[in-house]
Amino acid sequence: MMIKNSIRQLWRMKGRVGLFLLLLLLASGLFSLGRGFQAVNRRNMERYEDSFMTIGTVEQKADAVQEIKSWDAGIKDYHIYSRSTYDSYVPLSVLDFEGANYLSGPEKRVFYGAYNPDYVMYPRGLFGSILVEVTPPEDVLPDHPVELTVTRILMGNSDLWEGLNITFCNHYDPDPEMLYAGKTYLMSLQQRPGHDSEKQFAEDSPLEYVPYSMLESDQVGPEGEVLQDEVEDGAFYDEVTEGFYETRRGKRWMELLKTLDLDYTNHIFPVTGTNDIHLIMAFYNGDVWISSGREFTEEEYADGEKVCLINETFARTNDLEIGDSIRLPLLYANHRFPAGRRFGRNGLGVTPLLNTKGECYPIFEDGDYTIVGMYDGATGFSDEYGMGHNEIIIPTRSVKNSDADNIVAYGPMRGGTTSFQIENGTIRDYLEKWNQQGIDNLEITFYDGGYTQLEAGIENMKQISRILVAMGLILVLMVLLYFTWLFIIRQGERTAVERCLGLSKKKCFLSLFTGLFLLVACGSVVGCTAGNLLSREIAGRMGPVSYYDTSFSNGLISNEESVQTEEASEFPVEEVVWPIAGILLTASLISGAGIWLNLRAEPMDMLSKRGE
Amino acid sequence: MEILRAEHVSYSYQTKYQKVDAVKDVSCAFEQGKFYAIIGESGSGKSTFLSLLAGLDVPSEGKIYVQGQSLNQMDRDAYRLNQASVVYQSFHLFPLLTALENVMLPMEFKKIRKKDASVRAEKLLKRVGLGERIFRQFPKMMSGGEQQRVAIARAVAAGGEIILADEPTGNLDSENEQKIVELLKELAHEDGYTVIVITHNQGVAAETDHVFRMTDGKLEQVR
Repeated sequence: MMIKNSIRQLWRMKGRVGLFLLLLLLASGLFSLGRGFQAVNRRNMERYEDSFMTIGTVEQKADAVQEIKSWDAGIKDYHIYSRSTYDSYVPLSVLDFEGANYLSGPEKRVFYGAYNPDYVMYPRGLFGSILVEVTPPEDVLPDHPVELTVTRILMGNSDLWEGLNITFCNHYDPDPEMLYAGKTYLMSLQQRPGHDSEKQFAEDSPLEYVPYSMLESDQVGPEGEVLQDEVEDGAFYDEVTEGFYETRRGKRWMELLKTLDLDYTNHIFPVTGTNDIHLIMAFYNGDVWISSGREFTEEEYADGEKVCLINETFARTNDLEIGDSIRLPLLYANHRFPAGRRFGRNGLGVTPLLNTKGECYPIFEDGDYTIVGMYDGATGFSDEYGMGHNEIIIPTRSVKNSDADNIVAYGPMRGGTTSFQIENGTIRDYLEKWNQQGIDNLEITFYDGGYTQLEAGIENMKQISRILVAMGLILVLMVLLYFTWLFIIRQGERTAVERCLGLSKKKCFLSLFTGLFLLVACGSVVGCTAGNLLSREIAGRMGPVSYYDTSFSNGLISNEESVQTEEASEFPVEEVVWPIAGILLTASLISGAGIWLNLRAEPMDMLSKRGE
Repeated sequence: MEILRAEHVSYSYQTKYQKVDAVKDVSCAFEQGKFYAIIGESGSGKSTFLSLLAGLDVPSEGKIYVQGQSLNQMDRDAYRLNQASVVYQSFHLFPLLTALENVMLPMEFKKIRKKDASVRAEKLLKRVGLGERIFRQFPKMMSGGEQQRVAIARAVAAGGEIILADEPTGNLDSENEQKIVELLKELAHEDGYTVIVITHNQGVAAETDHVFRMTDGKLEQVR
């Protein structure tokens, strides 16, 4: 009855009611539009937070650049190269400073050479090195291509036989020594496509053998300190005399032969330890991605579980599947380069395997790793951030033993080996705190996949949303206040008469409240729904163009193309319900207060006063 | 038969500056089928006393009895809905309702079926001398006299026995004043209502059966 009476009286004010509905619809629409934008922003940000990550890579700046001259007998001149030199290596610990707030890392990754003849690499190594005894038919100065006769093959290939005359040039020595007829020389050689560097690979350019020193050890100490080796730099041959192989020097050659017998370019594959595969740039960049199985769990990282991720090609080549075990006897550790730099293109795993004692490195860690996932994508680019061919990823802590006696190279932090993850949108904070550390010989480069620009875009959207919400809210309040005054406060006489006619205060309240409440409900439902739909429509239209391409950082776990900024999903009822509920509550409070004012006045006072 | 009685009724209220004793120890009785007038100067407490009789306020002291039952112990809203109705000087019809709807409204409050309410409302409107022309008209389209008749029809629509009228002819010309007074007299004498009017008008008072005078909150029977 009260509702009917309330509506009937409102219905008689069609113009005002219409105006009220229109204004409320606009105001609640504006409010809901802003709220819708906020919700869209929030959802997008949540998606972005899941999809984006901010990675910093660290590179130590060189203290100086050293000029390296390399003789080229083909052009009778030097090639000039430059090499960065470092007075000392900045320790990783400097990155652990107050306020850094890493999500992961920082870590300086090491890659290991794991030797296992049960598995072969694909592609196979192209190491064309031979170990032969030769004698020159006549005294020669090998500063140009000369002929040498092979007298014994210690390590060779099918194109080589004893008695064969090979072309040799001591190509990289500007002042080579004479080789004498009748003497036998043990040489480590490598084939080169042609003598003249400018005519290499030309049809008339004959193959020649050039020195390739494998005798010298590259072993360094755990801090990168150079360890003394008896072998002179560049030594690649020795004269074979009576009892030579019994000498210390001769035994070293035999040790070298042992390492070559390992066929290690085919059976030594790189194993990289990490505490978070997200920090490996090839994954971050989307060059590779987990194609089957899973990545490591936090527990596996923390506990150093013997689990691994392997390359799909490597798995296919060796008939490996997820759940299989693979034995990884670790032979050496490279603290200088990422595996991609050593296991790419033609340089597959060519690493001198003799330590400073002249012996092959002993296995320092051995264990069976369970394959939990496989990755696919491009490998072997030989660049700083690419994955090496056949590279296997393991949790760093799964390597329990020290590699201190097996380090083949040590270098400063570099982009391909050293990285960390921080929260999205905190680059500026991080750099501010980092700059306070006063360390200026480290260069930190951040990759956030466009998050910073995206965040700026979203921040603008947030600002617009806030303005719309504020404007909508103010308008809603103004409309409610005005029409509460019109429909309620000004209806004080009606309340008084109704009370005089015997209506209780409660019924008088309902008589005024219900109609207005229904009007507000209609206006706010329609307005808020329209506003929300409009916000989704607008966000949907402007999202893909005004937001940023996120494919750069989205390839981590799967090979999705890009993050959808706003999907055409189900209508988010709760996003509309709350604004409607808020408007209804506000309307109830305002109109309730108005009715309370009406009911507080004594009916007779009011009616008599008006009568006078 | 006595229908309404006031016993030592006083009413005072506190303003910002002082305590006002609006009604002072008033005792009187009203009988069914009689037409009463309460006269007095402005501010003498007439309207306040009427408000107390209508149950819109509660006496500070004393009691009001309705057919022997204390108003304090009754549901005062139900009392107004069922037994006592108030008519005002300024009519106070609902401007957004037609004459018929105004009269039907108290019946609708009592949950009387709409059809029955409509029939009774039409009868009442005719009873107060209004033709069908008026039924569908809104108050602003009616004359003052017509509006007051509608107001009186509304007052009796709920089926009560007491009509409390506060200056019912105050806004009417002499012709309409006379008609309204006649109507109220008929309602009292022919239909058995107890009609109590507050008036300044001696002419109106002269038409009533009994006259009370309110002076400075005190009531005395003049006639």
